[in-house]
Formats: sequence, structure tokens, C-alpha cells
Amino acid sequence: MKLILKPISAVTVFAMIVFGSAYAQVTPKLTDPEIASVAVVANQIDVNYAKIAKTKSKNADVLKFAQTMSDDHTAVIKQAVALVTKLGVTPKDNAVSQKLLSDAAKTKKQLNSKSGKAFDKAYIDNEVAYHKAVIDAVENLLIPQSQNAELKKLLQDVVPTLKAHLAHAEMVQKEFAK
Amino acid sequence: MKTSLKWGEIGFRYIFLLLFLYGCATPEERAIKVPVSDSTVSNPVYPGPSEPQLHVVEIKDMKFQPEEISVKKGDTIMWVNRDMVTHCVTEENKKAWTSSNITAGAFWKMVVEINSDYFCAIHQVMKGKIIVE
Repeated sequence: MKLILKPISAVTVFAMIVFGSAYAQVTPKLTDPEIASVAVVANQIDVNYAKIAKTKSKNADVLKFAQTMSDDHTAVIKQAVALVTKLGVTPKDNAVSQKLLSDAAKTKKQLNSKSGKAFDKAYIDNEVAYHKAVIDAVENLLIPQSQNAELKKLLQDVVPTLKAHLAHAEMVQKEFAK
Repeated sequence: MKTSLKWGEIGFRYIFLLLFLYGCATPEERAIKVPVSDSTVSNPVYPGPSEPQLHVVEIKDMKFQPEEISVKKGDTIMWVNRDMVTHCVTEENKKAWTSSNITAGAFWKMVVEINSDYFCAIHQVMKGKIIVE
């Protein structure tokens, strides 16, 4: 008997991560203030991962990548905060933001338990996986559900940055596959 | 005498009309407006063909646009950062030259002498090429 594996979209995976497998078919519905919260939280999580890398790594490529993540995601947060301030929107905490934060806490714990090359590999592997998940969530969840045109535009503008980060992370990842 | 009175009357009316129109204008409309726009950068005025020219490469959506540019020796290339993150322009093989950081909205210019492959040292997947004809 052949086992047939159907490809599932990363959005479904994202929904599974956030809401558990029982609710995998339910795409989360988010309002603009909730989308703003998810955007800020998702960026802040990567800034925090970079902080750990800057403390623990001695690899020049990893350190350079971590600095870029810290600078770029801080710049995106700044843009997002400027926009919500202009729009008079207060980012609203929600299930997606909370799940992202609780997962990040687990990942941070795992990263902090490693050192040397094992840490570098774990950090960069996580950056590849995290950016893939975030790109998919932004393209297939946050952009389609955002109502405000300027918020939608900001999210669309962020996608090329996230994709360049993913390509950069995959480039550094090759170093640890040898 | 009648004629000079008539001209005087016309002059008076003209001045009155000018003052009236000025009074109708808002303070913003009265201010001298100098058009300041991105068009100065994206559509520069090129000098004659024999003079060194200015070329613009936009850094947008994490790409150099155009990625490959052909210029004459002595021409200037201006890189304009349209992204929300900081970029740089650095010669790739020997790091022979670099712009250092070009922050969001800023630009950097260089007079071109030789062919170069360049990249953004911050986002190393962003690459560009200068061809000197």
C-alpha cells in the first residue's frame, strides 16, 4: 500500500501551529489592529533571536547576518509603529501574536542550550524556517486580510526584504551543511 | 487731459484687481512653490553626449534596478535607496570600493572608471554589474 502524502500549504501549517491540528482547516481572522500586532511581534522575535546570536556566536557570517536581522527588523518595526500612529490604530494582542511569542520562548530556550558550531547551525536553521513561515503568513494571511490600504502596502513592501533575508540565511546555512 | 485720466483710472482698477486677487489667495498659495520631487533623481537632466553623464540605479525591493548598467568611462552613477532598510554598494571581488551605509531615502554617487561586479555587503544576495563601454 502506497502512502500518499498531499502537499499542505504553509498557511495551513501556520494555522496548525497557531490553533492546533483540530482547527487546522480554520484560517484565523484578524482585524487591522491585530495584524499590526502580529507584524510588530513577528519582527521583534527575530530581533531577539539576533541578540542571542550576537552574544553566543563567533562565526563572522552568522554575526553579520544577525546584525542585518537586528537592523532590518528594527527598521520594519519603526515603519509599522509610524504607520499605526498615523492611522490612530492601537496594535491589539491576539491568539496569533501570543502563539508566536510562546513558540519563540521555546526556540530561545533551545538556542540558549547550545554553543559553538551547534548553536550557529541551530540559529541559522531556525532563521530559514522562521522566515519561510513568516513570508507565507504575510503573503497568505496578513496581506489578504488587511483592510487599510496603507497597512496592506507596508506588508507588501516588507515581503522582498523577508525573501532577501531567507536567501541570505540559506546561503549561510550551506556553510554548516559541509 | 481726458486720456490721461482714463489711463489713470485703468491703472487704478488694475492695481485694485491685483490687490483683490491677492486677498483671495490663502497664505499657502501666496508662498513661492518650488517643485521638489523624486523626479529630480529619477529623471535627471542629461548633458550633451560628449559630456560625462549621470546614471541612476534605484535600490528598490531589495534589488539594484537596473541590475546591469552600461556607462562610459568618466560617467557618474548615483544609487538611490528607495527601501526602508539600509543598503550599501561594494565592489564584490576585492572590496576595491564601497559606499558604506546608504540609509533609507539617501543616495551615493561614484565616477566610474572600470568594469565592476558589486553587491550589497549587508544583504549579500543583492548583486549588480557595471559595464564600461
